[in-house]
Amino acid sequence: MTTMLRQSPLAGWKTPDQLVQDQQGTATLWMVDRSLTPRFGCKGPSAGEWLAAQGLPVPAPANSWVEIHNGRIARLGRSEFLIEGSETIVSRLKSSPRADGVYPVLRQDLALALGGQAVRNLFAQTCSVNFAAMGPAAHPVVLTSMVGVGVVVIPEQIQGVPRFLLWADCTYGPYLWKTLLGIAKELGGGRVLAEIPGAQALAHESQP
Amino acid sequence: MSNNHRLPRLPGEWIDRAHSIEFEFEGKHFQGFAGDTISSALWASGQRVLGRSFKYHRPRGIFSLANHDVNGMMQWGQKLNVRADVTLLEMGMQLSAVNTFGGLNKDPAKVLNHLSRFLPVGFYYKAFHGKRLFPRWERVFRTLAGLGKVNLSTPRLLTPKDYAFCAVLIVGAGPSGLAAALAAADQGADVVIVDENAQAGGSGGYQIGGELAKREATEALLVRVIAHPRIRLLTGIYAAGYYTDHWIALVDDKKMTKLRAEAVVIAAGSFEQPAVFRNNDLPGVVLGSAAQRLIYRYAVRPMQRAVVLCANADGYRVALDLIVHGVMVAAIVDLRAHHQPCDAEVELAAKGVEMHTGTCIVEALPTPGCSGVAGARIAAFANGVADAATARDIPCDGIVMSVGWAPAANLLYQAGTHMRYDDLVEQFVPDALPPGVFACGRVNGVYDFKARLLDGERAGSAAAAHVGFGEKRSVSVPVELESSSFPWPIVAHPQGKNFVDFDEDLQLKDFENAVQEGFDNIELLKRFTTNGMGPSQGKHSNMNALRILARLVDKHPREVGTTTARPFFHPVPMALLAGRGFHPVRRTPMHLRHAAMGAYFMSAGDWQRPEYYARQHKDRLECIREEVDMVRHGVGIIDVGTLGKLEIIGPQAAEFLERVYVSRYANLKIGMTRYAVMCDETGVVVDDGVVARLAEDHFYFTTTTSGATAIYRELSRLNTQWQMACGIINHTGAFAAINLAGPQSRKVLARVTTLDLSAAAFPYLAIREGKVAGIPARLMRVGFVGEWGYEIHVPAEDGVALWDALVAAGSPFGIRPFGVEAQRLLRLEKGHVIIGQDTDGLTTPFEAGLGWAVKMDKPFFIGQRSLQIVDKQPQRQRLVGFRLDQAHGGPAPQECHLVIHDGAISGRITSIGWSHILCAYIGLAMVTPELAKPDQTFEIRITDGSLVVARVTPTPFYDPEQRQQKEEA
Repeated sequence: MTTMLRQSPLAGWKTPDQLVQDQQGTATLWMVDRSLTPRFGCKGPSAGEWLAAQGLPVPAPANSWVEIHNGRIARLGRSEFLIEGSETIVSRLKSSPRADGVYPVLRQDLALALGGQAVRNLFAQTCSVNFAAMGPAAHPVVLTSMVGVGVVVIPEQIQGVPRFLLWADCTYGPYLWKTLLGIAKELGGGRVLAEIPGAQALAHESQP
Repeated sequence: MSNNHRLPRLPGEWIDRAHSIEFEFEGKHFQGFAGDTISSALWASGQRVLGRSFKYHRPRGIFSLANHDVNGMMQWGQKLNVRADVTLLEMGMQLSAVNTFGGLNKDPAKVLNHLSRFLPVGFYYKAFHGKRLFPRWERVFRTLAGLGKVNLSTPRLLTPKDYAFCAVLIVGAGPSGLAAALAAADQGADVVIVDENAQAGGSGGYQIGGELAKREATEALLVRVIAHPRIRLLTGIYAAGYYTDHWIALVDDKKMTKLRAEAVVIAAGSFEQPAVFRNNDLPGVVLGSAAQRLIYRYAVRPMQRAVVLCANADGYRVALDLIVHGVMVAAIVDLRAHHQPCDAEVELAAKGVEMHTGTCIVEALPTPGCSGVAGARIAAFANGVADAATARDIPCDGIVMSVGWAPAANLLYQAGTHMRYDDLVEQFVPDALPPGVFACGRVNGVYDFKARLLDGERAGSAAAAHVGFGEKRSVSVPVELESSSFPWPIVAHPQGKNFVDFDEDLQLKDFENAVQEGFDNIELLKRFTTNGMGPSQGKHSNMNALRILARLVDKHPREVGTTTARPFFHPVPMALLAGRGFHPVRRTPMHLRHAAMGAYFMSAGDWQRPEYYARQHKDRLECIREEVDMVRHGVGIIDVGTLGKLEIIGPQAAEFLERVYVSRYANLKIGMTRYAVMCDETGVVVDDGVVARLAEDHFYFTTTTSGATAIYRELSRLNTQWQMACGIINHTGAFAAINLAGPQSRKVLARVTTLDLSAAAFPYLAIREGKVAGIPARLMRVGFVGEWGYEIHVPAEDGVALWDALVAAGSPFGIRPFGVEAQRLLRLEKGHVIIGQDTDGLTTPFEAGLGWAVKMDKPFFIGQRSLQIVDKQPQRQRLVGFRLDQAHGGPAPQECHLVIHDGAISGRITSIGWSHILCAYIGLAMVTPELAKPDQTFEIRITDGSLVVARVTPTPFYDPEQRQQKEEA
């Protein structure tokens, strides 16, 4: 019997030269693969109530998110939720009995975090949404298209520097990664990183 | 060459004299400065001929110096049609004029200048009128036409495109645009201001006319704009097109930016218009604004001795500027008989400059070889007619024209602005602007400098208020005291060569002839003469053409109207339009495993799928046949993760499926699957797949690879409409799927799972959930390829692990991966239909042989009503199996070849392939019902026109008893 080995959709697509460490953390642009972060999804008319019954905070407005321990709950539209958090929380949700009006969604996303001084330029070339007009304090969740692929984006500001969390269908993973990396290299002058110091909290990745 | 025309250093000049730049033009060495354009550097060096005209190959020089000198376009290596009047000089440039044969000076095509009488207006159309000479003329025109030489080996440039946003966009950073930007930003709006020039300031920087205060005022505005925290000033970028909801295409030398503004202020200014007189195209005949740009931006003296042709105060100001910078003004020729003298005119009179009113230039006298101006022939001018009897010549080496302006209103037109002709300023001005669009300055018919500042303030304030910043200021803009444009700056000449359109070498008589031939409408006239259809898009010809037409048909210009202004306002390089292409590609998790196994990939919609797996020393067909053999006799493995994978959960899930598929699912047992056909409302087959029941209220079902997204979207729409108690989840990308097929498949699977795989516990068409190689999996016993097999679905992140485990477990059995081509042949042997290949946009389930799946006695399903109607009518076509005679040795038919019966088209081939298992070509064909009988023969017309006989054969061709998929208990 073979042992199960989870793989990121980018496994084998990230070449070693992209895995440069930037000890100063001053990269113009960085991209981190966080696809293997524990994740759960559900949708349906009772999904919000069900999550609340599980003791989790539920973002009230559509397309917004709330923070949970080691993660967040994003409300996608009105009745769908994307939950990222600790293995404990996600496992508990996955094993909870299915309730009426709650439909579990298998989340096998490509999940990326992107940041750095030039990250807004990267988004300007790849996505038509005006993220700068969104106040990060409002915790917006954006469902849009990026380089032709449907994505979910959460824009954030970390100490004044923009950072974006991005989720997409994993089958577009290599395409999305290669496309973003190509543009990022142009913008960042080759100083594009796949990993950054302190990224472990974002990555949760067992192997590249 | 020496810089013998360079002026002493001027305040505000754009050149950097500390940085000299060497370059070549037409094989000669030149020198300019950083900040020079190609044209300014050449002009400073005394080079007057910069190119040749498109049609007659006449020598041309600087005309506008404003990005519209289309006869001064150049080739620089792989870059063609480089606009010399605005392109900055770069070290080592090697330039040549684009529209010559064998060089600018030699150019044998200049003989065309003497053949103009044989090339009348509409010649192009008339030449193509007769079919017999069409190919000959085509060759001639293809040889003569075109600008520059495309180098087909030029590498593709991945030019970026980006998106940008602002509250208020100001187009044009001249005095009115700067004032508008400040007004809008002061009210709190986020402002972007763009200008196509290398530096901002617009006419405020070069239309000095002895009034330095104007430039100082402009500079002061610019300082405030640059310092303003809410204003982004972008130079060297032009607004190329306006699209709905204030989408503006901004173009610079590297990319296109799609900017979304909440409001737009057009402060684009105006284009100075030429006068029409004989030889008005000679190098040395320039627009007044071009002369001023040469002086104040590039410190170049335009000529030594000038005649200034004017019809407004601007012309007198130009004359002052010329004198101040050492040009001898031989005469000022004013088209107007009467006018109120402006300050500049009074000053010029005091300087003793010769002036003529009610006078025109009849002809520019050429130097030998027509490479420059030797003089101006002037004559009295009244009622639009020159009095030849009064003609006299004034020697000069340059003629400066300042007779009027045309608004740069293209973006306003594109935005849907209603324009009206204003007799006071003799131009079209905005009459009714769309919401969120504002105009100011010259484009708005305001020419006085101070009035332009006020108009800018008015428009900027209104734009900011429109998007919710502050209150709209009440600003009074004074009315113009005189028209800056002369209504008829056109002088006829019996020998012609008085050009109206410099792009296409159109003369005054061309318009007269076109109207005489009946093209007396502005749109028709444009197309017949090609006026405004050259690279400058009529910026210097449309207004004069309109005036000519108005006079010829005895109408007012407002009645003639303008042609339609479409994006792009200015030509955009193809490299920028193409930009970086985004073509999404989907790959299954096992993609790299396929690549490592030698897969040759093919596109299936967005997906990349292995077509077959290449083997050393074997060709494609051999590889495919080996893959087929392995599935038929051993075990094969194929990645079917591209299938659509949907899930529906809820108390009404079964009812929902009953409605959307033609078969019945309410009675489907838990743990079983059933084939599923979906129709649209017209009863046409649109998709198929397999529906599996996992629980009473829980179904998992597949769709075709290409149909997944559309089917999910449609089902979600229907669920929204029907409001049923169920939810649909698209798990297409979330699940990896592998089909293990062949007589040995059970043994392979048994090595990696503890599931009971016996026929009793896991029968044909059953679905089971369990672990395979430790991975939670859904397994379906379905058989698209007609062998014992399992379709195994696991979370995508475990796909590779499952693949590896199955390949390892199958190794003792010689397992081989098989691709799409082998799968297609395997299913064809079974007679299984591929929706979209064996069916088309009109095929019903009855025609496709899928009638057995249709349960017409259900209360409702999509397409049922149409099928009830269709069922009562005679069938039009039917899908049948066929095979060719085993002895057939000639070329084989191909998909889409026609079926011929009794000399008429009676159908088409939808699938065909060589089955080495059956030793015959087998296929599916959509044929007329009379041919759809067992053993019926029909003919197929193949590519070479010959006919091949085929015989209708029942399907499945292979294993008709389905024994391979079911265990004999």
